[in-house]
Amino acid sequence: MTNILVIDDEQIMRDGCSRILSRDGWSVLCAQNGAQGLEEMKGYPGIIDVILLDLMMPGMSGMEVLDHIRTYDPNLLVIVITGYATVESAVEAMKKGAYDFIPKPFTPDQLRIVVRRALERRALQKEAEFLRKEREKSLRDIATEKSKIKTIINCMGDGVLVCDRDSCIVLSNPAASRMLKAPETCLLGNYLNQCHLPQDLSHAIEESLQTKDMSYTSVSQELSVGEPGEIFLRAHTAPVRNDIGEIMGSVTVLQDISHLKELDKMKSEFVAMVTHELRAPIAVVEQQLTVILSKMAGDVTEKQEQLLSRAKERTRGLLDLIKDLLDLSKIEAGKMVQYKEPLYLQEVIQRVVDSMRSEAENKKIDLQFSSPPKISFIHADRNSMEGIFTNLISNAIKYTPEGGKVWVHLGEEGGFVKANVSDTGIGIKKEDLSRIFDKFYRVKTTETRQIVGTGLGLSIVKSIVDAHLGSITVISKEREGTTFTVSFPKESNPTLCSP
Amino acid sequence: MAKKILIIDDDPDLVEAVTMILESKNYDVAAAYGGIEGLQKAKTEKPDLIVLDVMMPDKDGYAVCKELKTDPKMRSIPVLLLTAVVSHISTTRFTQQMGLETEADDYIDKPVEPEALVKRIETLLSK
Repeated sequence: MTNILVIDDEQIMRDGCSRILSRDGWSVLCAQNGAQGLEEMKGYPGIIDVILLDLMMPGMSGMEVLDHIRTYDPNLLVIVITGYATVESAVEAMKKGAYDFIPKPFTPDQLRIVVRRALERRALQKEAEFLRKEREKSLRDIATEKSKIKTIINCMGDGVLVCDRDSCIVLSNPAASRMLKAPETCLLGNYLNQCHLPQDLSHAIEESLQTKDMSYTSVSQELSVGEPGEIFLRAHTAPVRNDIGEIMGSVTVLQDISHLKELDKMKSEFVAMVTHELRAPIAVVEQQLTVILSKMAGDVTEKQEQLLSRAKERTRGLLDLIKDLLDLSKIEAGKMVQYKEPLYLQEVIQRVVDSMRSEAENKKIDLQFSSPPKISFIHADRNSMEGIFTNLISNAIKYTPEGGKVWVHLGEEGGFVKANVSDTGIGIKKEDLSRIFDKFYRVKTTETRQIVGTGLGLSIVKSIVDAHLGSITVISKEREGTTFTVSFPKESNPTLCSP
Repeated sequence: MAKKILIIDDDPDLVEAVTMILESKNYDVAAAYGGIEGLQKAKTEKPDLIVLDVMMPDKDGYAVCKELKTDPKMRSIPVLLLTAVVSHISTTRFTQQMGLETEADDYIDKPVEPEALVKRIETLLSK
């Protein structure tokens, strides 16, 4: 509701204005002199929108009233009514802050126009005031939000590092300082290359800032900080993008995994110790059985030979299991994949295929290997790679019925060297597919019962693939065959390689 | 004259089994039950070949082998390493590592197949 106050000493003017303005749906208050007008104004604080003020009044003059109004509320819009078109007084009133003037006599339309203009102005004023308050509120909210986030980040157990796109660290928390062994002053406000961060970390951050690839989301890596074996960190680095996908900075979250590493190491050492202790006596038992079975300790009856042969098969199974367990614990202890070198995978696979040939021929299985004449190098441990392919190919042969086919194909795809090991074997059930890389998982069916295995082979393969930053996938159809696909990133510095 | 073979292994049961294999092929067998004893016997028994275990508590096979190979009098005795150090998912790892660490003439995994052991020994002795 719009409220207009008319201050005029003439009854006829007050009534006239009142009538004209009420017709337009505005509510009109009237006062017959300055003092009464000011009282009305103060009696309805914040309610009056526009004041029509006669300059020529007995008692307090219009100018004086105007002064009071302006001091009371500078936002109130005052339209002065000037008698006989005295331009000078109108100008003076305007100088004192009146919004507009209307000379007497005026027509109803003239009055409406002037008042309407003032009201529009009033509406704009209110809108501006509203926006100003909103903005103030949002700024306060942002400040609160910022303070809240800062507190959260500072209280976090995980380290946080944020860089702007110029590789300058703009945010770091106490946990990051602790983990990286760098005081806040060495991090905050410094450029990456001045901070003496672990090289792999700086590298990952720089890379995330420079990436052009929209699908690049984050990189995780393990870092070692301080003395060897002192602090192990897991670092997740991700670029920050604005609304149009430009990279504005990079966020890194650090987790201290030293404790986990320690546990893992203890576990692996324990497994290694136990398996060694287990293996030695079993090896001796098998040795003794071998000697008896070779009749070096005297004659053996047929029945005894049968029993002892079976006993030897059992010790053999145990020794295989222990061997796999040891392999696994070695991989987990990081001892297995230490000798990475530029490697020509074609050569490795060829050797494995050659060594498997007689096994395949025994089962009348057609074993093939194909590869393009030129293939990129990968950065890998030769023996681990032999292990992977020995495992995959011997599995393929094991699970393929006589007369079937096993073929290995090597190729390249994007930045990866990719190898497929396919067979026409019994296949793997859908529900088993997701679990075949689990430790000790073996698919038990009537068909597989006769096949010897420890259930560790594929989990060893998976561990090796992981340690090479590669990936392994499998597709399979029951009674039709299985294809394992392993891929490894190409060697990044191929100039160092020579076949 | 029968060739003499010295077996050095801390496990008496294994020594016994290997002795039986070798004796069945008419080798003259001497035994030592530890690295230090093994080195002494290598001097006194003057064997034609030594079968040497790797994992022994007092002195391991690598150390024994190193001493044998640096002694001018014993350097020419062929050494066959008995490896209970589990051969790897791929066996070449062992060759590589051992090749760097020892000067053993050959190696064979425990437990040994009699024919394989005898064949290796014959090969080494004929060199």
